[in-house]
Amino acid sequence: MLELRRVSKHYASIPAVDDVSFCARAGEVTGYLGPNGSGKSTTMKMITGLIERTAGAISFNGKPIQDDLIAYKRRLGYVPEEPNLYNHLSAVEYLTMVSQLRDLPAWESSQRIDGMLRIFGLHGDRHASISGYSKGMRQKVLLIAALLHNPDLILLDEPFSGLDVGSALVLRSLIQELAARGKVVLFSSHELDTVERVCSRVVILHHGKIVADDSIERLRSLMELPTLEAIFSQLAVEQDTESMARAIADLIHA
Amino acid sequence: MPRLIERLIERIPLPFRVLHRQFLLRVVDLEALSIEADVPRFLGQFAGILIMISCMRAIGTLFFPPPPSMAWATEESALANMLLVVGLIAVVTWDATFPDRRDVLALGHLPVRPRTILLAKVSATAALLGLAMGTLNFASGCSWALVLGGGSLIRSARFFASFWCTIVAATIFLYGAVLTLQGVAALVLPRRLFLKFSAATQLAAFALFMATYFLEPTLSGTGEFADPANHALLVGSPVYWFAALLNQLNGTLPSEESWLAARAWIGLGIALAGASASLTLCYVRTMKKTVEEPDLVPGAAGFHWSPRLGGSLRTAILYFSGRSLLRSRQHRVILAFYWSLALAIALSCLRGEMATPGTISTDFLTSSFVIMAIAVFGLRNVCALPISLNANWVLRVTQLRAPERYFAGTRSLLLLAGVLPAWLVAVLLGVRLRPPAQVAAHLGILLVVGAILVEVALLKFEKVPFTCSYLPGKANVQVVFWGAIFVISMLAITAALYEQKVLYDLQHDIAMFAALVAVEMVLWTVNRKRARSAELYFEEVAPEVITTLGLADGMRYASRAEE
Repeated sequence: MLELRRVSKHYASIPAVDDVSFCARAGEVTGYLGPNGSGKSTTMKMITGLIERTAGAISFNGKPIQDDLIAYKRRLGYVPEEPNLYNHLSAVEYLTMVSQLRDLPAWESSQRIDGMLRIFGLHGDRHASISGYSKGMRQKVLLIAALLHNPDLILLDEPFSGLDVGSALVLRSLIQELAARGKVVLFSSHELDTVERVCSRVVILHHGKIVADDSIERLRSLMELPTLEAIFSQLAVEQDTESMARAIADLIHA
Repeated sequence: MPRLIERLIERIPLPFRVLHRQFLLRVVDLEALSIEADVPRFLGQFAGILIMISCMRAIGTLFFPPPPSMAWATEESALANMLLVVGLIAVVTWDATFPDRRDVLALGHLPVRPRTILLAKVSATAALLGLAMGTLNFASGCSWALVLGGGSLIRSARFFASFWCTIVAATIFLYGAVLTLQGVAALVLPRRLFLKFSAATQLAAFALFMATYFLEPTLSGTGEFADPANHALLVGSPVYWFAALLNQLNGTLPSEESWLAARAWIGLGIALAGASASLTLCYVRTMKKTVEEPDLVPGAAGFHWSPRLGGSLRTAILYFSGRSLLRSRQHRVILAFYWSLALAIALSCLRGEMATPGTISTDFLTSSFVIMAIAVFGLRNVCALPISLNANWVLRVTQLRAPERYFAGTRSLLLLAGVLPAWLVAVLLGVRLRPPAQVAAHLGILLVVGAILVEVALLKFEKVPFTCSYLPGKANVQVVFWGAIFVISMLAITAALYEQKVLYDLQHDIAMFAALVAVEMVLWTVNRKRARSAELYFEEVAPEVITTLGLADGMRYASRAEE
């Protein structure tokens, strides 16, 4: 189980994440939602150890992650929000490097890389430079890199970004399958439709604070709203979207 | 006057002005020079160095005027300096004048003509060349006009005009020649092949400019020009052509040397015509080809064999570093710069010995030490340039081993890609020298010196190669660099003089070898201990700090005041 207790992150005096506490359990897919700039990716980066938190504690399976960060990282798979990869390498070279950095046995990792590249439809372009890859292809490389070592905790920050319909369907099923196999999956996305289908519970963040943390069914019944989109709009969208759209159209017509 | 200039500028079409400014900011590859996007600062530093050189030469000329017999040599030296600077600018701005994919994709859908893009790029490059010409020659040009004019105002004025015309002509010739070569290649070769050719030619041009500058002898006038032994040199070297052109314009060229000036005119004409034609054709034809180029270029087919090079982490670091060096043009160019410098210094030391092989001299010893030091420290500097800062997260997420294991990988890289090639060059240079036992002893000592230099290079290098960023404003080209080259040269000379004394005495030789091994072991132990407690870092700038302007407080005070 991944547990965040009163976690905060301040940049200078500006709070990006403020007093956030929630749990993501094994066997469940936890959706982590929020508008742009609400602090989702900052939380993800704190969970990976990429950035230090200002306050609070993060623990995995009851142990604070900083107690043995290396052992924790061995069990962590992470797909970041932006598909930032070393563009001068090919997909095979990049994935081999990641497997070597993770100290995976050479033969086993080569088999896994080859197999996953085939399944994700990248095998034909595996020796091409990543600089030429589309956003979806890069996203697939990131997914493979995150899953290569069979992690127990999987953090997915906008994993559907740029994926074609077929790959998105595969990924949706894969997320559910991984959770069913006992992994802890924390999943952030703006595609509320997908979140509603995949996640068993959601945490909604607004201005760095948690405004909802419950199963989707309970939120629906508590708030008496039919969809996750409606719940999200009520909790985290401040603007009147229709009048904003009208204002933009008026501006370009002026 | 300022109003007139303003009016004139306003008459230039706005798209051209905007593009000129943009291209001027991009004409130099910023990451290669590590100035952190501060172009005015870089141009200021660049101009400052050239002004300093110009002033020093001017003072030298005024206080120690060259005798009339050395006039040719002085002019050749000025032209050689100018051509080297232009050559280096050509290398640094290698692709800047040609349309690239970014321009095509960003500007292609806007109502901007290719002609405007071409002219803006040419004017941006011309501005940089103009800056270089002006700053390098403004003081020295005046002082030479005064001294070489022989006290006559008219002769001084004529020399001044001739000098500047020649400088401009030589600049256009060399830059035009480079553009012509690239333009012809872009037109003739398929796009993918051209990109490979262009990368290789850039390195070759770099080596050529450096080697020519350091190895070309100075011929001081008619006597040496008439020597048949120098004929091939005169035929092939533009420095002599343009020195002759300067004298032709100044009215001091002997008639028997006018063929050299003729070569300068012909060369200038060909370069100018070739550059204009190839650039125009490139903008008409290649821009379309660039758009049509597929995004995804298939990788090389065939056998992909990547054997393990030690442990998995060491293998990962070595392959990542090797690929970064081979595939990143910026890194290759900077490494080529260091190697060109090292080889040029070494070859200029060994110039006399190249023709007649003989015994081991201090020149050979000095040059091998210099090559080793520049190869190791040059590689270390190149390793400190990041290849993609945004992608470094993967190294942090997968940092599962102790920092000392990463340092061991970096050490292997410096040994394999720094010490080994430098040592092999020393072997090649020393293979014709005698006695072989002493040559072998020196090569053994050189290897240990290389290992020591690697440990010194690792003393403050707590990062994975090709991942870390520089501090803002920290430049790769700065006074410290030239200071370091001076110190390295002095240390190499001192070491060579000492080694020369003990090389033929077996006992002393063994003692020196043992002392060097001991130093290496001490440094290795220090680095190993330090590595155990060290932390790898990926940013030299402290992250997570946002500087606020305090506007929120200001608003609060304002609203209170209103109340």
